[in-house]
Amino acid sequence: MSLKPGEVNLGTSIMAVAFNGGVIVGADSRTTTGSYIANRVTDKLTKVHDLIYCCRSGSAADTQAVADIVQYYLQMYSVQQDEPPTVHVAATLFQEMCYQNKDQLSAGIIVAGWDKKKGGTVYNIPLGGALIQQPFAIGGSGSTYIYGYCDSQYKDNMTREECIEFVKNSLALAMSRDGSSGGVIRMAVITEKGVERLFVPGDKLPVHWQG
Amino acid sequence: MNFLDSPLSKPAPYVVAPIEHRFDPYEDNGGTSVAIAGEDFCVVASDTRQSNGYMINSRYAPKAYKMSSTAVLSCNGFHADGVTLKKVLEQRMKMYKYSHDKDMSVTALAQMLSNTLYQRRFFPYYAFCLLGGVDADGKGAVYCYDSVGSFERENYRTSGSASALIQPFLDNQVGRKNQQNASTAPLTLEAVLRITKDAFTSATERDIHTGDNLQIFVITRDGVEEQNFPLKKD
Amino acid sequence: MAPQQVKPVGGFSFENYTRNAVLETKGAKPPKATSTGTTIVGVIYDKGVCLGADTRATEGPIVADKNCEKIHYLAPNLYCCGAGTAADTEFTTNSISSQLELHRLSTGRKTRVVTAMTLLKQMLFRYQGHIGAALVLGGYDINGPQLYTIYPHGSTDKLPYVTMGSGSLAAMSVFESKWRPNLTREEAIAIVSEAIEAGIFNDLGSGSNVDVCVIEENSTDYLRNHVRPNERGIKEQSYRYPRGTTAILKESIRNFVDVVEGDAMDMS
Repeated sequence: MSLKPGEVNLGTSIMAVAFNGGVIVGADSRTTTGSYIANRVTDKLTKVHDLIYCCRSGSAADTQAVADIVQYYLQMYSVQQDEPPTVHVAATLFQEMCYQNKDQLSAGIIVAGWDKKKGGTVYNIPLGGALIQQPFAIGGSGSTYIYGYCDSQYKDNMTREECIEFVKNSLALAMSRDGSSGGVIRMAVITEKGVERLFVPGDKLPVHWQG
Repeated sequence: MNFLDSPLSKPAPYVVAPIEHRFDPYEDNGGTSVAIAGEDFCVVASDTRQSNGYMINSRYAPKAYKMSSTAVLSCNGFHADGVTLKKVLEQRMKMYKYSHDKDMSVTALAQMLSNTLYQRRFFPYYAFCLLGGVDADGKGAVYCYDSVGSFERENYRTSGSASALIQPFLDNQVGRKNQQNASTAPLTLEAVLRITKDAFTSATERDIHTGDNLQIFVITRDGVEEQNFPLKKD
Repeated sequence: MAPQQVKPVGGFSFENYTRNAVLETKGAKPPKATSTGTTIVGVIYDKGVCLGADTRATEGPIVADKNCEKIHYLAPNLYCCGAGTAADTEFTTNSISSQLELHRLSTGRKTRVVTAMTLLKQMLFRYQGHIGAALVLGGYDINGPQLYTIYPHGSTDKLPYVTMGSGSLAAMSVFESKWRPNLTREEAIAIVSEAIEAGIFNDLGSGSNVDVCVIEENSTDYLRNHVRPNERGIKEQSYRYPRGTTAILKESIRNFVDVVEGDAMDMS
């Protein structure tokens, strides 16, 4: 689905990777309206529960609205069930919203987090509203440039540090090739112990071949 | 049913979807001009703002040109076409001078401008011209044109983005329309200059494409004199 | 039985929607709403938030209002600059302001910035961009000074300095070159004024004066026409018409009252 005229776009590079103690979610920080950068320090990593985050791509308005509703559902869920929701529950809620309203939404969302049942988990919900569990997921317009890189570099059971480097390098490569991605890299390391937010400034990004 | 009759064996002929080829050679650069003829003088005034949409291209891009010692031309509409038109006219004026060994009168220039515009009847210059000067009898003259060469000699006229705001004002103050018991004495140069300046400062208040600077040409039998005044820049 | 009349319960009326859709297919042009080519900005400083706006309203190329107000009241500690469709910004802010007032009466607490932001974004999202309001929301609550932009489709951004409207690029160029953290109140007002002036002079959709609104913990100062860089010059001559200039085509005088006592009112 194409964006409505004047709509704010998250032409984005987002990713989530599971490692042996949890997951890392990462995103660039660029929001555009046409060729104008409306926000160069956007936080596209949205908390929907204590240990569950989503990475948003597509229309800013649509993904914010969906994330707000899911956040509300999960808050209700944790109070009523007296236990935190699993990542699967969160992902299913996102999928339900995205699938049932697929005609009106342009939202590509990656849901990732940590729960007692499965540990660090990543779910991908692409445009049509499918729900796919993956060891790692990439999304947004910038992701097309790094499928090969990610497939070649990903390893099962990475350490936290290996995983951070993987996310950082992948996103830096996507941001350097995709005009609608850029700015800084924002990350969140989600483990049993909690969430740690990481930030890589625009002038400290890993540098690859630049010609 | 024969297989060859089935729709499968007769796929719809492959047609290329029509591709729209659009050519947009014109732009509207805004701006306003006023020309007023007096008894023995003529005033041609233009603002100097050049804009496109909500953008200001230049705060000082004159669109009125001195063509000879007795004629000034102002071109509203598409600036590039105005500049080109002025260039073509200058070339043709030179040809005239070489052929006839004399300068062109405003009257002759007026007819030539019309011919030049009509030559491009089916790919017009997007220029709305005012030609001001003093004729062979020493009387003030204003000629106004549409983009394809239709023209008329008048006593006063405005064209451009704020013309709809200024023309009624000129009708009233220069043409003395809708005024009972108004004087019919010809306007002095000083009065014409006052009216011209007030027309532009007022148009600048309400038309977003008019502003920055005002360029006024005063044409008399003795030649062309140029004056400049600031206008509001918002 | 007489046809049932449905009593309107508030909100938008869509009763002419079908008729207008048919008229449009037959070539009728829909009416155009006044779009305010605008520059609006906001900045957070050490102990407050400062909003700014120009004062020009346009209808196409014509200036409709030379000194309009684009900074709208939401709550005593909350103001909102509007760009886009003039009617939409006015009615949206009015409606949210009224909801916030009722919310305050029912909770007895100071309105929070996120509350207003959430109400605005949920309303705009519900209307899928058809309500053309682009807003800069600024306010002060228990979480300190906060600043948001809200787009017509309902997306929001939270930033330390923001611009919106047709002059947003001109204004942002000022912020991107001169903004720094922890501005003082005076510096914030100065940078906001400069950003609005950049819009006034470089964007044809913006013009006239600078309005500023400064919100701090215990004070809100609405500085109407804080800077007036575009005073009209003095006219060259007077255009007062002498008595008798306007032609009288017909004259008839009727006496509606008879003054019995005292003097008649001086009508000259």
